[in-house]
Amino acid sequence: MSDRPAVLVPIRVLKGESIPDGVPELLADAHVVLLGYHVIPEQTPPGQARMQFEEQATARMDELESLFEDAGATVERRLVFTGEAQKTIDRTIYEHDCLAVLVPDAVVALEDVLVAVRGTVGIDRLARVVSGLFANADADVTLYHVAGESESDADAETLLSGLADRLAESGVDPDRIETRIERDRKPLAAIIEASDTFDAVVMGESDPSLATFVFGMPAEQVAERFLGPVLIVQRERPESE
Amino acid sequence: MSTPEAGDEPGGENVTGERPEAEPVGVTEETTVHEEDVELERTIGLVGGLAIGIGTMIGAGIFVFPGLAASEAGPAATLSFAIGGVIALLVALPTSELATAMPRSGGGYYFISRTMGTSYGAVVGLGLWLGLVFASAFYLVGLGHYVVAVLAEIGVSITGLPVGPHVLLGLLFGIALTALSVTGTENTASLQNVIVVVLLVILTGFLTYGVLDATGLFGRESVPEAFFSQGQLPVLSTAALVFTSYLGFAQVATVAGEITEPKRNLPLAMVGSVLIVTLFYVVTIFVATSSFGAERLGQFGETAMVEVARDLLGRPGAVLILAAGLLATFSSANASILSASRSVYALSRDALLPRWASRINLQYGTPHVALGMAGGPILVLVATGQVEVLAEVASFLHLVLYALMCVALLVVRRRDPPWYDPSFTIPGYPAVPVLGAVASAGLIAFMELASIAIGVAIMALSYLWYRYYATDIRLKGDV
Repeated sequence: MSDRPAVLVPIRVLKGESIPDGVPELLADAHVVLLGYHVIPEQTPPGQARMQFEEQATARMDELESLFEDAGATVERRLVFTGEAQKTIDRTIYEHDCLAVLVPDAVVALEDVLVAVRGTVGIDRLARVVSGLFANADADVTLYHVAGESESDADAETLLSGLADRLAESGVDPDRIETRIERDRKPLAAIIEASDTFDAVVMGESDPSLATFVFGMPAEQVAERFLGPVLIVQRERPESE
Repeated sequence: MSTPEAGDEPGGENVTGERPEAEPVGVTEETTVHEEDVELERTIGLVGGLAIGIGTMIGAGIFVFPGLAASEAGPAATLSFAIGGVIALLVALPTSELATAMPRSGGGYYFISRTMGTSYGAVVGLGLWLGLVFASAFYLVGLGHYVVAVLAEIGVSITGLPVGPHVLLGLLFGIALTALSVTGTENTASLQNVIVVVLLVILTGFLTYGVLDATGLFGRESVPEAFFSQGQLPVLSTAALVFTSYLGFAQVATVAGEITEPKRNLPLAMVGSVLIVTLFYVVTIFVATSSFGAERLGQFGETAMVEVARDLLGRPGAVLILAAGLLATFSSANASILSASRSVYALSRDALLPRWASRINLQYGTPHVALGMAGGPILVLVATGQVEVLAEVASFLHLVLYALMCVALLVVRRRDPPWYDPSFTIPGYPAVPVLGAVASAGLIAFMELASIAIGVAIMALSYLWYRYYATDIRLKGDV
């Protein structure tokens, strides 16, 4: 399939971090960019760490790669020795034009997915991720939106039904798509609460603001509290494409 | 002349059968790329590079040397520092060109071994490691002097010790710094950035006031004195002594493998830090000699700047400069220990030192052996307490390195191997590298015989080590 969405799966490869159960199946239709990274302190040159750990890390990467390939995904891999994990992850997202990043967590059986829709911005990428990953799966997809104060119910419905139509066009069974609108709530708290009954969450990355510097990105906060895997759809990178 | 293809890949093995690591397949702005999709992230930006250069350099020239330099050269010590700066610049330019073509860990050692052959590389590489060891020891003794001065300021004096208190304190700081690097506190580099900024702010304020004062703006006459009060020759010997203050840009090259956008940031960090530091040095010596006169300044010794500050701004000034001196000597010593450890890594990667020398500690993820190979000999040298000899030996070893780096540029440009593709090419070729080589080698002539003898002995031992341990090693570019 040509429209496999590229999904980054970052793994701290030498820290015993592993691919949780169900994740390879979740990404069966994705183009997985498997990023094994090893973080070293500043006083250690990355090359020095490579000399000592490359063999061990490569062997581990082979195992992880075959997990995804056995599930049906196409896999591209990178092994990076770095002093700054975030920089490495950001660079890899950019270089491989990844649509989403997976924050891995176990999923027993993928039955329903929560898709948090923020607004029209970035909705194209969101649609590509959801349809690419779930068109062939049996899971139910719930499109979830927390309406703002100035937003009428009609606006919110147009937003979600537009996305639903788009997903249906791309091959997601319309019977499996549900929409849900909430209002008068803080979006973040609402999403965290709603996610409780779902097996996986797809949500957008938000723009960095002062609050995100203090409290972290909303998506990260969701990933921290939610017990299943979270797919964070990335903003369009400047200059990409 | 053309390089044989066979010389472009490393080969051979050392006494214990270890082989040099393969060269990376490429360098991007953010990474070094090895085969099989393995990448090394580059994480030091321009600011970090400048902080390493400035942080290493600014300590010695301002906080240890003014007194020593003034007593030897009189007010003309200003000129000594300016000469040092010009020479440093003449070398920093060729180094920048080499660095943009070969942005790898090891800096000067790497450039020379890849352009002039493994034997030169081995001598220079071992010399660079030990040169940094001597430099760190010198900075630590300076740090010891500052701590003693701080204690004196608050009324504590240490007496009755078999060694000088500054030596004892230098040893303690040496142990502490090595331990700190091994146990791996995060953010040591960010700390370095902060220290450098604080330092530059303090110095700028202090020097601005000092210059206004010295030029008589506040109605005070500066001490009238002949510029060449000690004659002209000491100007050059003093330049040789204080050249230790300019060793920092080479430290930028030792982390060349970790600098982002190396093509742009390496030349900027090296040339930029030399220019900034030279300016600060020249102004400092001018202010210092203006406020006291060279002779009295010389009597104050290693912490002369504190007295200058006291004279200008009273006790708060003294406290401020004491604090700055502590920060500066600390950051110089810290940066040098880290660079020395990287030199050991580069040598071990090329099988010129045992592979175990670059082992990484499993608990902390730090190169404990390499750091120990920096910290251990440093302590031995600190124990000698010989500030001037330590500084000169460090200068000697670095001057040899610098002269050879200029030669290396001439050699590689002549030979023009296919892999040599610098993005920064120096202006004034071949005059600049020729002048750089001649000036670096020339400064050596003005050094104390004892320092030259120690330096030559180190180089001879390095060569013997290479002959014994790694005669068969062939590195990229070796012919």
